[in-house]
Amino acid sequence: MKILTASTSISYAKILPGLCAIVLGLTVVLGLGFLQDSNNYLHNAAHDGRHSAAFPCH
Amino acid sequence: MADFRKLVAISLMAGLLGRLLLSVLQHYQTLPLILAAEQFETPSTEHVHDWQPIDGWQRNGFTLLFNGLTGFGFALLISASMYWRDQRGYLYGLGWGLAGFLVFFVAPSLGLPPELPGSDRAELHSRQAWWLFTAAATAIGLFGLILAKQRWLQIVGASLLALPHLIGAPHPEVAQTLAPEALQQHFVVLTSINNGIFWLALGAIAGRLMRKVTFA
Repeated sequence: MKILTASTSISYAKILPGLCAIVLGLTVVLGLGFLQDSNNYLHNAAHDGRHSAAFPCH
Repeated sequence: MADFRKLVAISLMAGLLGRLLLSVLQHYQTLPLILAAEQFETPSTEHVHDWQPIDGWQRNGFTLLFNGLTGFGFALLISASMYWRDQRGYLYGLGWGLAGFLVFFVAPSLGLPPELPGSDRAELHSRQAWWLFTAAATAIGLFGLILAKQRWLQIVGASLLALPHLIGAPHPEVAQTLAPEALQQHFVVLTSINNGIFWLALGAIAGRLMRKVTFA
């Protein structure tokens, strides 16, 4: 039987899959948006995307 | 971890679809402005030997790749949030999309507007730090304001929303932009509209796809 309650709690089994998705998502977004490499390869490749997404670029 | 794989699959589809839409808008609207602004930049001798993508398909290809991957990343955040709260459907998705737009675009842009190349801004690391702090404070603040039941948590949430703007974004003592002001303003308006469309579309698509899968 499923009990419906208006709670904000998350069942234990759901914590890990959701957390993995959040960590992967933040890693991808922040890595591409913010990393500056010494050769500027990543910066130059991501340049137009960063400007268009309003990430600080230069 | 079967649920995690499902979240990844949903995010791949939603992220790529949403970013494809954004990339088309960008290609005709904001990228020409970036190229126009670069005409005002004097080539810096310091970076002349650095590799950079050749203008044309190569440069656009990297932008497409950047868009696709970040779209995937943003979609993961939305689908995981809906997963945790047992939400399905495009209406919930639109709500999360709006939240994402506020956290990752509107709030940081209030202090650091989208900039064209050639803008002389404050030191990069301080701007990146303020941007990240603002996004985090806005995310936690929105969570407290909207989802918390207790009054004191709502007050803390509202204060967190305001805090980065009370501190203020880092700005140089003398700001100067090489591109004309009209071009810069045009860029701010277009990126705001495009990113808004992207976030709402991303949320709606992710929300709709959440209906297609059954979680453990």
